[in-house]
Amino acid sequence: MSMLPAFFSYRRALLGGSLLLSSLLARAGGGDTRWPVDAIPAALRENAHAVIRQQDDILTVKSAGRMVYTVHRVVTVLDEQGEQWGVAGVMYDKLIQFSYLRGAVYDESGKQIRPLRSSDIKDYSAISGFSIYEDNRVRVGDLRQPRYPYTAEFEYEFTSENTLSYPDWQPQDHEHVSLEHATLRVITPPELPLRYLEARLPAGNTVSKSQQGTQQVHSWQLTNLPAVEREPYSPPLDEQLPAVYVAPTAFEVQGYRGTLSSWKEFGKWDYDLNQGRSELTPETTAKVAELVKGLSDPRQKAQKIYEHLQNSTRYVSIQLGIGGYQTFPATTVATNGYGDCKALSNYCMALLRSAGVPSYCALVGAGEQNVGMRTDFPSNQFNHMILCVPLPKDTVWLECTSQQQAFGYMGSFTGGRHALLLTPEGGKLVRTPRYGATLNRQLRRADVQIDEQGHGRATVRTTSTGLQQDDLAQRLHSLTADEQRQYAYKQLALPAVTIEQSNWQADHRGAIPAVTERLTLALPSYAARTGRRLFLTPNLLNRSSAPAPRVGARQTPLQLLMPFTDADTIRYQVPVGYKPESVPAPVKLSTAFGSYEAQVQVLPDGTVQYIRRLQMNGGRYEAAQYEAYEDFRQRISKADRAQLVLVRPES
Amino acid sequence: MQSVVGGLLGALLACSVAGAAIAQDAPIKFGKVEAKDFDPATYHNTADAPAVVLCDFGQSRIAGGDEGFYVVFERVTRVLVLNKAGYEQATVRVPLYRRDGQEEKLLNVKGFTYNLVGGKVEKQKLDESGIFREQVDNNRTVGKFTLPSVREGSILEYTYTVKSGFVFNLQDWQFQRDIPVEWSEYRTLIPGFYTYKEIPHGYLPYKWQERKVVSYSTSVRQTVHDSYGSSTGNTNMLTLTCNALNSRWVMEQVPAFREEAYMTTPRDYLAALDFELDKIQWDEKHVQQVTSTWEKISEEMLKDDDFGGYLKERSSLTPAAQALATQVPDPAARAAAAVALVQQAVRYNGETRMYAHTPLKRVLEQKQGTSAELNLLLIRTLRDAGLQANPVLVSTRSHGRIQTEVPLLSQFNYTLAQVSLAPGQDLLLDATNPLLEPGTLPEQCLNGQGRLIGPQGRWVSLLPTQRFLHFTNARLVLDEQGNLSGNVKVEYGGYAGVDERGAVAEHGEKDYVGSWQRRHPDWKLTRSAVQRLEERAKPLLLDLDVHVPGPAATTGQPLYLPVMQLFADVSNPFPQEQRRYPVDFGMAHEYTTTVLVTLPAGYTVEELPAKTLLELPNGDGRFVYEATLQGQTLQLTSRLLLRKAEYQPREYAALRELFTRSLAKHREPLVLRRP
Repeated sequence: MSMLPAFFSYRRALLGGSLLLSSLLARAGGGDTRWPVDAIPAALRENAHAVIRQQDDILTVKSAGRMVYTVHRVVTVLDEQGEQWGVAGVMYDKLIQFSYLRGAVYDESGKQIRPLRSSDIKDYSAISGFSIYEDNRVRVGDLRQPRYPYTAEFEYEFTSENTLSYPDWQPQDHEHVSLEHATLRVITPPELPLRYLEARLPAGNTVSKSQQGTQQVHSWQLTNLPAVEREPYSPPLDEQLPAVYVAPTAFEVQGYRGTLSSWKEFGKWDYDLNQGRSELTPETTAKVAELVKGLSDPRQKAQKIYEHLQNSTRYVSIQLGIGGYQTFPATTVATNGYGDCKALSNYCMALLRSAGVPSYCALVGAGEQNVGMRTDFPSNQFNHMILCVPLPKDTVWLECTSQQQAFGYMGSFTGGRHALLLTPEGGKLVRTPRYGATLNRQLRRADVQIDEQGHGRATVRTTSTGLQQDDLAQRLHSLTADEQRQYAYKQLALPAVTIEQSNWQADHRGAIPAVTERLTLALPSYAARTGRRLFLTPNLLNRSSAPAPRVGARQTPLQLLMPFTDADTIRYQVPVGYKPESVPAPVKLSTAFGSYEAQVQVLPDGTVQYIRRLQMNGGRYEAAQYEAYEDFRQRISKADRAQLVLVRPES
Repeated sequence: MQSVVGGLLGALLACSVAGAAIAQDAPIKFGKVEAKDFDPATYHNTADAPAVVLCDFGQSRIAGGDEGFYVVFERVTRVLVLNKAGYEQATVRVPLYRRDGQEEKLLNVKGFTYNLVGGKVEKQKLDESGIFREQVDNNRTVGKFTLPSVREGSILEYTYTVKSGFVFNLQDWQFQRDIPVEWSEYRTLIPGFYTYKEIPHGYLPYKWQERKVVSYSTSVRQTVHDSYGSSTGNTNMLTLTCNALNSRWVMEQVPAFREEAYMTTPRDYLAALDFELDKIQWDEKHVQQVTSTWEKISEEMLKDDDFGGYLKERSSLTPAAQALATQVPDPAARAAAAVALVQQAVRYNGETRMYAHTPLKRVLEQKQGTSAELNLLLIRTLRDAGLQANPVLVSTRSHGRIQTEVPLLSQFNYTLAQVSLAPGQDLLLDATNPLLEPGTLPEQCLNGQGRLIGPQGRWVSLLPTQRFLHFTNARLVLDEQGNLSGNVKVEYGGYAGVDERGAVAEHGEKDYVGSWQRRHPDWKLTRSAVQRLEERAKPLLLDLDVHVPGPAATTGQPLYLPVMQLFADVSNPFPQEQRRYPVDFGMAHEYTTTVLVTLPAGYTVEELPAKTLLELPNGDGRFVYEATLQGQTLQLTSRLLLRKAEYQPREYAALRELFTRSLAKHREPLVLRRP
């Protein structure tokens, strides 16, 4: 849904188990055979493109500010679709020192083909697309082979001086990859006891604890997990597969120490880290005073200041070391007119304070994939910062990186989830507003004229609100009119259409933002004509397709992301003399997932009127309900494609 | 870097007294922006534009320095931001190259943002903290900077210098961008001892294009050698004075470039000027031809370790290849066997190259390589198999068209293998894609002509030997409930076969059939099979048993049967009414659908879609549709033929109509009467 550019600029667990290229390494391979492919149990080959034969992760916490992470991974690549597992990438930056990347590749029988040489390893900049500057780099070792199967073994280690986040452990985190054996060992000194959260571990796989000298050791293992396939409309895989989340009790990043046994403490660390960075120059203070002159309502003041922020700054991401967490001073933003999410939120907070309106910066996991949060496990689960303005009647949330967002609107990027407020007393976990089916509307009204050849001409007005306008609004602000038209063509999904006129307008006056699209369309042969009949599909622009047919019983819950309401009213002027021969029967459906109504009426003046209303409630449903959902969607799809037949009397 | 050769003194002598030169005023003065410059109404092509370049002024000159000669490139650019979508113009990326310890240097970066506040121009400087360097990889760095205080209506202005020792590569200039450009000007100052070839791109005219000879002077530091040729450790500063060629190109009111469907690469269409060092001449006797003739290029390529050198080496495939000479007598079959040999030994790593990069031995050991490494190895393997094989240089479609009259190596980016089967009969081979039948070129290589590198160098046609073929053949039975069931065979031949085999390889057979099912929601597949996956010479066959539930029967009403709509796989690729540039499909296309429907006894046909024949001028394409009834069997046939690979903008309307009409025709239902 949300197409807001990823304004992530809060540094997250870089070392994560989910390195894009996959991670890995090996005890130097000897001359004997290792990892023969025929030793893989049949159940693990089923539906798999790759099999993780062995993965051993060791996290050694040396001190509050230093940890060493070692990974050994052996993966058999069964076919071309598994070839990403023949490559290993290790991310590093100023705070992460890369120690080594080793590896070897074996043939089907397990005989070593060759070791990974240092000359095989390439080093690339790994700046995310939205940043102008970061210190992220990646070392990549490539052992891919022309023939399958083969087995790639990688071993790597890095030392990190960023201990705020310990890497998550989820050795099986992709579709079509099975896991033979994986272990995690976390070694901590006595003064830094480990915090962990086990999720979805099979019975008997919970932690085992031991001592290694004075050090405490926590160990986990997983064995023989068959490959999984993500079902349509199911929760993200990382919420389905076994995982262990680990986090520090105390940490230190570039000399900034903190403790992390509660949200309060985490919030306190971040608050203190950014203390003293929100001073403003007298010029800026004067500017604010002028802006809010004559206003007493804090909401009005906030709106005025937010609009000023939007008109005088822009988002530029620069991330370096502690700069991943610590903002540029407000004065820098005032001078440059740009900053990342932290800098812009902090600057806006300073402006508001100068106008007597208190506000708090808040950490959030932005993006659709971060809606779910482990609220019972305080740790760095954030990638973004926004601003929260508590007001007597309601609370206003401000997205300070966007120059176009409506005041107080969060959209699918940060709405409907938890955020951590950073207050002088420490962190406070709060909920951000959720946008329901009645707010996410798409209302369409169209008038279509059909001529005797079946050609159509339509004027269409569509107003989208709430989450349904997120993408539209984003495009409206980032694309040229020409690009928007090209995009509209794709969206129209009609076999033949020409957009004769188009116009898009954003409206931020209401409680929820809206975008209205006005189109004038030429629709050659919109109604198919065979002899003296015209075949017309009354549903002009909102035909929904049914989910792909299911194979076997549904395993995972059904997750419907966006609740919404669509309402279409389409009127057709049909050529004189044509009478309806077959009119689709009205359809009315009501289910736990939502409701649907569609009807075609021939009005007394011969006009054909089509009215459709679909409301989807969103939310999570049991796997057992999937069949009913499928049935609901199939009925809708069928009704959406129903045809009206008009016939001209034989002359 | 071009080292200073011993002929410097000669150059000095060869230079004549400079003629009088009148310096043309620069079109822009950095730092001078006035209130009137902010008015968008004074500029052109700005409707819908997020920003407009007011002036883009670049100058390249050759200058002497401590270690020979440099290209010094200076740019001044001024941009008016019209709306927030134009903010991205405030972040500037300057790509810099480095190789063998030498690197291009970004110098003198300066920038201002101007805002008009209350009728007065406020000016803010680019701060040092806004300038960055990103090391992309070993050869590439990007200098980046971002300007402060950008708003709607801001004027952005920046200037920078790139100093480069790579004199073979004079900075190219692009007049056209994705935003309109009011004035774009490029000047070069090239001393007489260097000559560059100019390669223009695009379709737009110059406002000015002029050259004159001017006087030129520069200083070069030169290492002093003793009479035995050894360096003495001392250096001399030499001052050179000679004539230079001062050139100037200007375009004004350049519209924004918009990409259209079915284009090769924007490079082929964007107005731009590229340069390549042609020759170095210190005096009349010492001419060093850098690029000159295709024959010389061929000779040098063959001498190059990373090209011709590759062909000289025995490889671990040599014995097997030599064995093929006797095992497979037919040359075409032998060539195919050689391709298979290479593909089994080495995997394509996805990198498009013309030269090899990694030694052959390493490539065979790593079992993966670039396109050049694979195809050079293929040539060697073909030769080992007793075939006459040669390299052919190609510019891929995404690299752009080549100009055969400009002998420049940089026009190419890819190497293919050629085998002469008989005089005048070339077989072109490529080892990168195991899904390609030997003799079928990768689609990326269908780009005009290639240059055969060898003693008898010549141009080789890269026209497709295959078409894009899509055949559907269905036999269906209609039952009394209005259900259709039967068998459907879909064949994908030529390039359609390559695409579909690629999709099967990428997604697996199960997902492939799954995605096919998603595109045909009305179908229930009772059986599906993907056949001839490995038989690349034949079309890929999708064999399906299907059941299509009929509409709920209503007595007394006719039965409407949208049979051909079930097979409407093609969507109109041309929604846009206008076309600015040619439509380049790469190859000819054919889509044919034949459906037989057996009707239940007693059913009669009330209406059938009318027969249709549409033809493009000169028979360059046609659409035929016919529905006939024989006994109780209906036969429907639809055929869309596009005979050309490329259609001109003037043919666009007819081409678009062909698609529109054929799609409309597919949607016409049959009207049947029940007994």
